[in-house]
Amino acid sequence: MKYALYLGCTVQTEQYGYEASVRATMPRLDVELVGMVGVSCCGFPPFSSVNELAWLYSSARNIAIAEEMGLPLLTLCNGCHLSFTETIHKLGNSPELKVKVNEKLAGEGLRYDGKVKLVHIFELLHDEVGKDKITAALTNPLKGFRFAAQPGCHSIRPSRVGRPDNPENPKKLDELITWLGAEAGDYPEKNDCCGSSLAVSAGKVVLDIAGEKLKAVKRRGFDGLVTTCPFCFKVYDNKQRAIQAMGGKEIDMPVFYYTQLLGLAIGLKQEELGIDLNQSPVDELLIRIGGA
Amino acid sequence: MTQRKPKMMDKVNAETCDQCGKCPSSCPVTVRIEGFNPRQIIAKVALGKEAELMKSQVLWTCTSCLKCKERCPEEISPYDVILALRRIAINLELPHPEGYDESVKAVVETGVVQQPQLVRTRNKERKDRKSMGLPPAEKPRDMTMYTKTLRGILEEDEL
Repeated sequence: MKYALYLGCTVQTEQYGYEASVRATMPRLDVELVGMVGVSCCGFPPFSSVNELAWLYSSARNIAIAEEMGLPLLTLCNGCHLSFTETIHKLGNSPELKVKVNEKLAGEGLRYDGKVKLVHIFELLHDEVGKDKITAALTNPLKGFRFAAQPGCHSIRPSRVGRPDNPENPKKLDELITWLGAEAGDYPEKNDCCGSSLAVSAGKVVLDIAGEKLKAVKRRGFDGLVTTCPFCFKVYDNKQRAIQAMGGKEIDMPVFYYTQLLGLAIGLKQEELGIDLNQSPVDELLIRIGGA
Repeated sequence: MTQRKPKMMDKVNAETCDQCGKCPSSCPVTVRIEGFNPRQIIAKVALGKEAELMKSQVLWTCTSCLKCKERCPEEISPYDVILALRRIAINLELPHPEGYDESVKAVVETGVVQQPQLVRTRNKERKDRKSMGLPPAEKPRDMTMYTKTLRGILEEDEL
């Protein structure tokens, strides 16, 4: 299984723990990742709020590079995946727009076709790698732990353009968690937004929105929150101390990228998974998980 | 400000809105920011009051959670209406959060919204891509052409 790996701005410029854990775990599951030379921002945000053609051009440009490579296009970020999905949808419905975008791409010698196979990290892990391969790779099953799945808005909505999981009852991340030997409890706040998009206009509201979910996850007795969305992780993990300071209440909720937990469960070392970059209080849980 | 109705608003079908209230009851912002209500936004569009919305700061406080788009029984999508109004507002140089201009400038000039950051571990050690053992960050092969293309697009009047 071979994929063109599209990192996107947030993963590539700050969420190194996600990238490191993806790069460390995938070869163990026979997934080969090929770097994409010359890629740029997918356009979402900022162009989706500024200029539609600039947005479509930005997404189509990266899709064109994957098409040139002749490989399925794997995205790690929910935002990038939705941006590519919407672009394929919009350009598929408008031959004129597609021509216009291709005129813009021609300057760099690129051509957008729109036939690329787009793969979300859930689809890669859940649908393509699958349960048998993941469970067979376990050396340190995460038995006795109960995690809350945070799929992230853009992985489940809007269903009318096709998303990797169900808009009202997503299950893939929960199942992926159980394949590591852990429990994944359903909880009513699961499909709620982390609020991170408001950072540009209303920073305090982000902390309020994210804090509400973290408190709910704590109240419901989970050992940790698990996501694959870099925007969600940025808020729940990186901003947890600020959320706590604002709310005055202890939260202390360990937050992980799914691929970090996967790595621990298949015997990789914390250093290989970038877990030293997690800012939430993960240390106690890591001791309990043990392993390599 | 121009009085013409922007072409991109034609497809909205705001007048088919039943005002059922599924969108504000799903919205994480409506309960927190006074004046932000996707149902009211659609009502104003139906009444042709786009100009009023474009001047309002609430336009910029949508989290893009997409619940309104998902749950609208008429498939109207307040989310897409908000994005379209934002694009017109920026095109008309109406007040908007500075962050958008900064991100656009960074992407146009460098290909990404920010340069690779020096981040901290829990033990306050500094790490960058190299010390994490990650390959160098990517950027457009022909940066001059990339920048020129995006600038050209942004200068076109998309209304």
